[in-house]
Amino acid sequence: MDMTAQATLPGTSAAAREDAVARFIAAEKRRQQQRLIRNRLLAIGFGLLVIAIWYVATEYGFVHRLIIPSPVDTFWATGRVMSADYFWPNVGVTLSEIAWGFGIGLTSGVVFGVLVAMFDTVRATLYPYLVALQAPPKIVLAPIFVTWFGFDQPSKIAVAVVMSFFPMFLNTLTGLSSVDPNAVKLMRSLTAGRWKTFRHLLLPNALPIMMAGVKLCWTLAVLGVIVGEFVGASAGIGYLIYAMNFQLDIAGVFSLIILLSVFTLVIYQLIEWLESRIIFWKQL
Amino acid sequence: MGLIEGTGLDKVYSTATGPLVALTNVSFTINEGEFISLVGPSGCGKSTLLSILGGLEQKTDGDLVLAGQHHDAPRRDIGMMFQTSVLFPWRTIRQNVRLPGEILGLDRKQQAERTDELLDLVGLNGFGDRYPSELSGGMRQRVALARLLAHDPRVLLMDEPFGALDEFTRETMNVELLRIWEKTGKTVVFVTHNIGEAVFLSDRIFVMTPRPGRLEGIVEVDLPRPRTTEVMRDPRYTEHVYDIRRMLGVDH
Ligand SMILES: Nc1ncnc2c1ncn2[C@@H]1O[C@H](COP(=O)(O)OP(=O)(O)O)[C@@H](O)[C@H]1O
Ligand SMILES: [Mg+2]
Repeated sequence: MDMTAQATLPGTSAAAREDAVARFIAAEKRRQQQRLIRNRLLAIGFGLLVIAIWYVATEYGFVHRLIIPSPVDTFWATGRVMSADYFWPNVGVTLSEIAWGFGIGLTSGVVFGVLVAMFDTVRATLYPYLVALQAPPKIVLAPIFVTWFGFDQPSKIAVAVVMSFFPMFLNTLTGLSSVDPNAVKLMRSLTAGRWKTFRHLLLPNALPIMMAGVKLCWTLAVLGVIVGEFVGASAGIGYLIYAMNFQLDIAGVFSLIILLSVFTLVIYQLIEWLESRIIFWKQL
Repeated sequence: MGLIEGTGLDKVYSTATGPLVALTNVSFTINEGEFISLVGPSGCGKSTLLSILGGLEQKTDGDLVLAGQHHDAPRRDIGMMFQTSVLFPWRTIRQNVRLPGEILGLDRKQQAERTDELLDLVGLNGFGDRYPSELSGGMRQRVALARLLAHDPRVLLMDEPFGALDEFTRETMNVELLRIWEKTGKTVVFVTHNIGEAVFLSDRIFVMTPRPGRLEGIVEVDLPRPRTTEVMRDPRYTEHVYDIRRMLGVDH
């Protein structure tokens, strides 16, 4: 083929050339692997350094244990907290609040984003209000929601929903709107209607921005639930943190914070893994 | 009677700063199987005219007839190609070429065969399972060309399809386009601001001038077919280029 015409060097056989190329690629892969390992080591090393400083600062009395517990205390506290009989029921409460808050926030964000992006009447009617509603920091709603929905799960789910709705809504809307005008022209020229254009062009095109929204949505749903539990609850991780803090069980608080962070991160990683699957073409 | 007939076409865009006359009193006839180029400087309304021909934009005034019918909406027998390849990055090359067939609900098996033929035709045999990001700019335009032909449209509307390619790739693409055109007998309307390219490719050239966009004149290209790059040495080639430059007022 004319575009990939090959230059033939005198005295080199095709096999020899291919071999050289293969060796070059292998060496390049090795170098890449080494870079990766080096970066991992740097990150792990830094983490260990932070823990070491934490250890020295607390165990040798530079910082009072009531302010920051030592890593050792935190470690034992984690075991104590996780084996306590009150732990798992409270975890269950918080997890189901997060799941509902995230699920409803995500779904409603996507639905409203799609409706506003696809239908001019919906956009004209709702968009100004949705933007205005986005302005106040949603946390201020938490006490009101407790008044409205009570001390149980619904008020926490409500905070999580209002916090996670907007990033999902805005990212869906932005994703569906940032499309190459020529691609739209192409679809129109093929007599594609609204639905076919949405399915074949707008939706896949929006996925990268939407997935960024999902990640924000997740972090904010967790935040919303915990804040909701701080404001008024009788169960949940946020409630436990609040109660332990009150009892000056700072090591217990730390262990809960760490457990919550690990959980949030694991799900976050899961979402990133899903993202790399869904928008595989960005990795090519 | 021609395949496409435009009579007194006007196009006025309403913009924030008031009405903008993009085309005024454009009349022409395009015959079946003809290769037409639109040349002219930026802003003379080439893309606008092409969009009207494609049924994507509405004319403000005048008459446009295609195959004896009034024409003002997209049709499946018209295909469009743009300066950017507009390939969907989540689709493989083969899936991109199959897009028109999917949208139009054409027979899957037939489309699968046709896709392979078309990839062959544009010299991309063996690239079907790659993704667009793995291809060079020239190769992507080849894919766009294959997709343009996928549903076998009668009229091809091409808006500066090779405008973003380097000179060498563009020349190769021009030669290939002519080869494909000769093989398929499509009616082509090809927008370019490269006069040489227009002369090399076309049967007739619509020369357009801006402010407001007008059809300044039509040049019949008197060069033998089939053409190879050899025709660029033909004195008539140079003369046509010179004529068009004069019509556009670029020579003083
Ligand atoms: N959708 C549009 N809305 C308003 N003005 C437009 C639109 N499309 C093109 N124009 C204007 O119409 C004129 C012709 O544009 P165009 O057809 O793109 O010219 P060309 O393709 O020859 O460069 C330009 O002045 C351009 O700014
Ligand atoms: Mg243009």
